[in-house]
Amino acid sequence: MHIPDGFLTTRVALSLDVISAAGILFAARRARIDLSDRIIPLMGVLGAFVFAAQMLNFPVAGGTSGHLIGGSLLAILLGPMAGFLTMATVVIAQALFLQDGGLIALGANIFNIGAITCFSGYAVFRLFKGKSGRDNRLAVAGFLAGWFSSVISSAFCALQLGLSGAVPLQIGLAAIPGYHMIVGVIEGALTAGVLGFLSRVRPDLLDTNGAGRFRGADWAGALVFIGMPAVILVLAGSSSLPDPMEKLLIASQSHVAEESALSGIDFLISGTIFTLVIVTGFLLAFIWRRRSRP
Amino acid sequence: MWARRFGRDERGKMTEYAIRITRLNYSYPDGTRALQEIDLDVRTGERVAIVGPSGAGKSTLLLHLNGVLTGSSPIKIANLNLERSNLQQIRSKVGLLFQDPNDQLFCPTVFEDIAFGPLNLGVPAEEIPARVNKALRECGLEQSIGSRSSHHLSLGERRRVSLAAVLAMEPAILGMDEPTSNLDPRNRKRLIELVSRLEVTLIVATHDLGFVLDVCSRTVVMDRGKIWADGDAQTILSDTRLMEEHGLEVPLPLKAETRP
Amino acid sequence: MRHNFIDRYSSLDSPLHTLESRTKLLAFAILIVGVLSIPTDAEAIFFSYLFAAAVLMGISQIPLGYIMKRMVVLLPFIMLAAVAAPWKGYAGFGALAVRAVLCLILLILLTNTTRFAELLCGLRRFGFPQIVVINLGFLYRYLFVLMEEAMRMKQARDCRRVGRAPLTEELRILSSMLGTLLIRSFERAERMHSAMLSRGYSGDFPVVAPRRFSWHDIVFLAGTSAFVGATIWAR
Repeated sequence: MHIPDGFLTTRVALSLDVISAAGILFAARRARIDLSDRIIPLMGVLGAFVFAAQMLNFPVAGGTSGHLIGGSLLAILLGPMAGFLTMATVVIAQALFLQDGGLIALGANIFNIGAITCFSGYAVFRLFKGKSGRDNRLAVAGFLAGWFSSVISSAFCALQLGLSGAVPLQIGLAAIPGYHMIVGVIEGALTAGVLGFLSRVRPDLLDTNGAGRFRGADWAGALVFIGMPAVILVLAGSSSLPDPMEKLLIASQSHVAEESALSGIDFLISGTIFTLVIVTGFLLAFIWRRRSRP
Repeated sequence: MWARRFGRDERGKMTEYAIRITRLNYSYPDGTRALQEIDLDVRTGERVAIVGPSGAGKSTLLLHLNGVLTGSSPIKIANLNLERSNLQQIRSKVGLLFQDPNDQLFCPTVFEDIAFGPLNLGVPAEEIPARVNKALRECGLEQSIGSRSSHHLSLGERRRVSLAAVLAMEPAILGMDEPTSNLDPRNRKRLIELVSRLEVTLIVATHDLGFVLDVCSRTVVMDRGKIWADGDAQTILSDTRLMEEHGLEVPLPLKAETRP
Repeated sequence: MRHNFIDRYSSLDSPLHTLESRTKLLAFAILIVGVLSIPTDAEAIFFSYLFAAAVLMGISQIPLGYIMKRMVVLLPFIMLAAVAAPWKGYAGFGALAVRAVLCLILLILLTNTTRFAELLCGLRRFGFPQIVVINLGFLYRYLFVLMEEAMRMKQARDCRRVGRAPLTEELRILSSMLGTLLIRSFERAERMHSAMLSRGYSGDFPVVAPRRFSWHDIVFLAGTSAFVGATIWAR
């Protein structure tokens, strides 16, 4: 779900722009990518791969069509940091080429489709893959990573739309992730299928490029992934203090500006908690990395 | 200009050999032996063809010429030992044309692609447009093609743009990998004319034996990572037994000559 | 096969096309923020923005039909917002829809009046991280190459298949197609890296000097800022 401009209040959109920009700078630094390394053209080509794969729609029963988001797949192949950078590029390109997603909403889209899918997908994958690396484990972990990342990412999309008052929070949270729970099966199946194919044909690509390269970030990813439901709960709790419907009714009588001020506070709270979760995650990862270094 | 192209060394003495390779071995990371005991000396200004079936190691050998791959023993390019410290210098002397222009043209526009090499060599920005236009002219392309994107070009144009991108670096040695593959007869002929005019030491890996006859004076037969024959192009290409042993065919013009 | 669905109109020659990319990025971002801050009940301001967008559309020479066709990306969101309309009030929904349409028109104008290479140059000048800009360039270039490969594979698959397979089979075929494409992408990246090294690449992606600002740029930027400023002041 690429959010176009106009559906998020300026405040929500701009805060996410800042968060995403910081995320990109952080990932670029943390991934420690040597610009002369072969990963540079690889990230570019895999970005093009995801872009092309997203355009390869194929019909699903009921007239809708499904395609690969690819965030979790990229994170598994390239590691979460390089994967996130690549997905961020894809999202920017989609806004610039196809006007899929807005310009001011770019931060929100990078956050949902880039950061959330990559980090949650990667964390789930590592969690379920285990050490054995047997084919069926790989498939199960890949499926769960794809499915979960797609659902969580859509939940964040719904959350932002709700906070902006474009779609009532309850309706959004029911409809958008609900839809993705179904469509996510395709994402999961394709992620698992591609991983399975790679492990049969070119297992070396799975060994050298993804797993084990950014081990510290596993923890960060896992924490973000655990933190998310917490944030959602807190959010749902804080916004239901005055009934959201009631609040929206009040808001609809006055200006959008006031409405965004109301949701701005909610956003500030959730944003702070979320940032804290991420920061703790990265701190832990950093300490863990330090310790594991001989 | 002349001196640099034909590789005089610092003392002004003409260097006899553009390329000297002795007992070069190379294995891929997975252990496959791609090159075995390769000996190859190429004189300055010579035009050498490397022929052989697919997977013979021709492309791998070319990638050694500018140190993208490094094998067991050092290579001498214009009397310089190829080392980590002089890689940049070597790469400014040895230009490589890749088989698929899509691999070589990675920038959003043709202009940027041709400017990429010179800019990396430290050519000042003011001189870049002149360099790019000169290279485009040399390859028979219009100046206006510069602002276009490679995906809007035909394969023939893309191949010539790739060549322009290499020539813009003004190399003394040019390595080409299958330069005529997939070209239609007209574009192939154009490329042959273009390459024949170039004043560089040429080393071409190809299946196109007609191209070899038109352009090269010397031919090396490679198969399974080894060199099997090395000598005058006409003689080697008309040796039916040798050609067939290594999955090649005597080109038609030579077949015609042997007929009564 | 030639693709031009992405940059079909970016090499036209209108006054908007000739502006510097940084000018356009900045001016359109200001305009979009301006649109987002239009209050729900300010009809006059909505109309002034619609008028401004129409003028820009006219100047740009981009066919109206094309812009209309691109509106389809708004559909799912408009539908979701429409569900909420009974609670939020129809005025709010209307304002939301018009804002979204205006923003989309502006984004279409920005991206279709600027060549992608110049847009990249502008982004880089604005301090986008180098790694992102390099990747955007690669993505733009190789998107077409990969799509061609994908199309060929799809045709090959269709040649060997009669009728429709069940979904699970469909998914299995699609994932092995994607897997093949992925492996080819890895190999392509390897060859590109060799090609980059061969042309002296050592970690710094060079750029050609960007175009200079002209007085057109200053006028356009000043004009849009004044317009947005005026609509905010008039509130």
